[in-house]
Amino acid sequence: MTTAALNTISQSALKNRPRDGIRTFARVSAFGTSAIIILILATLFLQSGPAIFTASDSLFTARWNPAEGVYGIVPMVFGSLFVMVIAMSLALPIGLLAAMAISQMRHQGLRRLTKSALEILAGIPSIVYGLIGVAYVSIWVAGAFDLQSGRIILTAGLILAVMILPTFLSLSEDAISSVPRAYQENGAALGLYPYETQRAIILPAAAPGISSAALLALGRALGETMAVMLVIGSLDRLPRPLFNPLSSGQTITSKLGREIGESAFGSTHFSVLVLMSLILVTLTIALTIAARHIVKPGSPS
Amino acid sequence: MSRRAANALYYGLTHTALLLCAGILFCLLFAIIWQGAQAISLEFLISRARDFGTSGGIGFQILGSLLIVVTAAIVVLPLAVGTAIFRQSFIKSARRKNTLDTILYALNAIPSVTYGIFGLIFFVNILGTGLSWFVGSLILAMMMLPTVTLASHAAMQSLPSGYAENAAALGLTRGEVVRRVILPQSAHGIVTGLLIALARAIGETAPIMFIATAFSGTGIPRSLLEPVATLPTHILALAQQSTNPQALQNAWGASLTLVAFVALFSALAFFARRHLTRLSQR
Repeated sequence: MTTAALNTISQSALKNRPRDGIRTFARVSAFGTSAIIILILATLFLQSGPAIFTASDSLFTARWNPAEGVYGIVPMVFGSLFVMVIAMSLALPIGLLAAMAISQMRHQGLRRLTKSALEILAGIPSIVYGLIGVAYVSIWVAGAFDLQSGRIILTAGLILAVMILPTFLSLSEDAISSVPRAYQENGAALGLYPYETQRAIILPAAAPGISSAALLALGRALGETMAVMLVIGSLDRLPRPLFNPLSSGQTITSKLGREIGESAFGSTHFSVLVLMSLILVTLTIALTIAARHIVKPGSPS
Repeated sequence: MSRRAANALYYGLTHTALLLCAGILFCLLFAIIWQGAQAISLEFLISRARDFGTSGGIGFQILGSLLIVVTAAIVVLPLAVGTAIFRQSFIKSARRKNTLDTILYALNAIPSVTYGIFGLIFFVNILGTGLSWFVGSLILAMMMLPTVTLASHAAMQSLPSGYAENAAALGLTRGEVVRRVILPQSAHGIVTGLLIALARAIGETAPIMFIATAFSGTGIPRSLLEPVATLPTHILALAQQSTNPQALQNAWGASLTLVAFVALFSALAFFARRHLTRLSQR
């Protein structure tokens, strides 16, 4: 008998056996998981439709005033980007330097301790960061810059930097540690200082992993709500002058957190808020998918 | 700059950065524990909140938080395990595997506030449930889904391929292989993933604050469609009256309690990862 014939027989034997429920169960679960994401995106899309039709002339302006039917989302989008840039420009260099220090540690116990400490830091709920921002950081910032209120864009950026630091630090440390040990040993054998080995050999090899960690941290920063909402001051205007971090502001997420519960379902106001949420989701999903694609080609992990 | 100086600068900078991180961690934990300890007493933990949270305790907030997240865990468990089994045993084409992975990572990427907005539109308004703790559980279950699924699947994938092949060679159907071999051998991963997801879910505020919680006047819910009070939303309400020292102190107390729950679930996850090893390794 040929192999092909054997295969056909064994296939049909498998098919004729009684089927149990596991296959159906697994299939239904996977279908349900896929349905959830489609349902979420479709719901947001349908609910943000009215905003595009009825508020289209004011949507891309910098003025927000629902009482007059003016819904400019520019201040919120700008605020999200501004806060994100502040947070990233603090968290990236500090995180990367600390990750290099951790990866250089020879003592395994100490390294494991540092990693668990990072997990603790990442586990603190965002509302608790918000409370710390309200009770300490905003007051320090107000004192340092002699302001009436410390609930400003800079405070939100500082808190956010601390919140994304553990994620970025931990992931980029993984990327650095996954570079084979021999690379470093070869660098040392060539007479390079540890700094030179790191810069010329280890960092380029770990670069895809580090950029992917940065993109994930970026997505986290854009989507963070509670802590930002409590310390940013909730002012629906562009800062004056534009790049003044000492002004109060508003991010997409803080706007959503503050207003979605108060706006009437089905109104233009509600619909514009949902549209902002749709913009946000599109960005964070795109960042995550991009982060996955960076790591894939040519990396062993 | 000489090479030696550059190297010294590198050491200095990296270790300063590390010390800075350690300092931040220390200050945060110190603030949470120090401030929280002054507010917490046995009475604070079991009595009900009075005067808009400025006096009394957080008894119902603790109950509400636990009710919502434990229900969410019960809801998500079969869905996540089923999806992981599907990914592991019933998909052949690499493209469909990749699609399912992308769906899971996309679910993971959705910001928590968006889950809340989806719940508000779909459940509270379109299905007309009103404020309901059970809707909060469903939304948290959706948020936990990628974490639990990916952890379960990672455990299934780490099984030696010989296990499933041997079982199939002994004449077990694919369903039997899943039930008799894959599920029991990957139980530790499922439990660990569930506990990690619980630790994250109990601290979430944004997904439940529009749809599942009320600040005052809640007790133990008598039906699925009633709001409850929870720890994170309680902290939010108190933090917004931060000029009142009494409110602030109770917010610290609730924060320490919340962080303690996160730590408890994380510690259990750590324990599960270390001690519930594969059956075959016992």
